[in-house]
Amino acid sequence: MSEILKIENLHKYYGDLHVLKGINLHLDKGEVLVVIGPSGSGKSTMLRCINHLEEYQKGRIIFEGKVIDPNSSDINRVRTKIGMVFQHFYLFPHLKVIDNLILAPTKVLNMEKEEAVEKAKKLLDRVGLLDKIEAYPSNLSGGQQQRVAIARALMMDPDIMLFDEPTSALDPELVYEVLAVMKDLAKSGMTMIVVTHEMGFAKEVADRVIFMDDGNIVAEAPPDEFFSHPKNDRMREFLNRILNI
Amino acid sequence: MAYQMQVLIENFGYLLIGAVETLKITSIAVLMGLFIGTFVGMGRLAKSRVLSYPSSVYVEFLRGTPLLVQIFLIYYGLPSLGLNLKAFPAAVIALGINSGAYVAEIVRAGIQSVAKGQYEAARSLGMTHSQAMRYVILPQAFRNILPALGNEFIALLKDSSLVSVIGITELMKSGQIVISRTFASFSIYGGVALIYFGMTFTLSRIVRYAEKRMAIS
Ligand SMILES: Nc1ncnc2c1ncn2[C@@H]1O[C@H](COP(=O)(O)OP(=O)(O)OP(=O)(O)O)[C@@H](O)[C@H]1O
Ligand SMILES: [Mg+2]
Repeated sequence: MSEILKIENLHKYYGDLHVLKGINLHLDKGEVLVVIGPSGSGKSTMLRCINHLEEYQKGRIIFEGKVIDPNSSDINRVRTKIGMVFQHFYLFPHLKVIDNLILAPTKVLNMEKEEAVEKAKKLLDRVGLLDKIEAYPSNLSGGQQQRVAIARALMMDPDIMLFDEPTSALDPELVYEVLAVMKDLAKSGMTMIVVTHEMGFAKEVADRVIFMDDGNIVAEAPPDEFFSHPKNDRMREFLNRILNI
Repeated sequence: MAYQMQVLIENFGYLLIGAVETLKITSIAVLMGLFIGTFVGMGRLAKSRVLSYPSSVYVEFLRGTPLLVQIFLIYYGLPSLGLNLKAFPAAVIALGINSGAYVAEIVRAGIQSVAKGQYEAARSLGMTHSQAMRYVILPQAFRNILPALGNEFIALLKDSSLVSVIGITELMKSGQIVISRTFASFSIYGGVALIYFGMTFTLSRIVRYAEKRMAIS
């Protein structure tokens, strides 16, 4: 399989706070990587560095064979290829669902409006929300908003999707519908990095799981091995905690 | 008293013509203030000092000096630099520039009131900074600051009475002209005040209505 993403010796500081301490990671096309780890370990920061929502001080990120240059205007083109889904959805509240979906394709990719609308309908159908096309985000449940957010990211035809705790702001009964969409996406061959504590999801669709602690990746393994043989006490303790809730 | 009332009734039409002039000046100045304020407000939040520093100077200076001085500076001061402005454009420019400083502060607060995640979501879809501002941040910011903008426009409408000093026959000046002829100060200034009140009251109702309509969608 061909490599799509490689992170080399990534260091990130917030002032004096050393948040990422030399991250190395590679990802093949079509792979699904699940990231777990305690709060504050740097999971979100790592994701945000990949599409350069966050600056970093040292290291390189290579996406589709090219080093991402944060200072080049090319960053906008790169971002269209890297879809991102946030914990709090961040749908645009002043726009209807359909306009949330077609805004970036028409403005950034110069797609014709009719074409964008057609595509939006297909994607909304795929996430089961075609009937909400004219709704405003505030009239949707959290689970519906997150599914729209996923469809919005897919409108750009990304080559990789980043998910930052996509279900942790949801009521428990709504988690399932979002995970179902993500599983469907994984099965369709999408490359994904998913920060989540949904271990069921990890076991079912992840190719690899990594455990982050204090700015480092401290363990990396396929899910069955990962969960059956935790590498150290800290990981075992963490797994026990999240598997028991 | 009967004389006073009679003067007011006879000259009410004349005062209304002045009020139309007031509305004209204020509307143009409002548009100018909005335009300037949007850019200066964004400028104040810019990372680059080249943008943020001049924006701050603009806002601080215009808010820290009297509007009357600014009007005189533009109408009487600029000609000595070789720039002659007629009274009407001078009045509109002075009010617009002044209002721009206040609108800038409102716009800045409005932009800051939109969740940071909105900007990041827009950028993560590949939008440039300007696209994110234009399509995502500013529409939400304007919705949030509509009441504050409404208040600013009401303040500007009242402040526009100051341009009577450079000889523009807006509402205030019209009143003064009538008084200089008739000496009916009480009824005419009373009438002028009522007309100002009628305009600001209507304006505040319109803003409230617009706010409600926007809240629905
Ligand atoms: N904007 C910021 N300014 C300063 N420090 C920050 C900022 N964002 C994050 N941090 C710090 O960086 C560290 C890593 O944060 P990060 O959000 O990446 O952790 P996380 O693993 O995603 O945690 P969580 O599970 O709580 O989301 C934390 O110590 C956090 O306090
Ligand atoms: Mg996080």
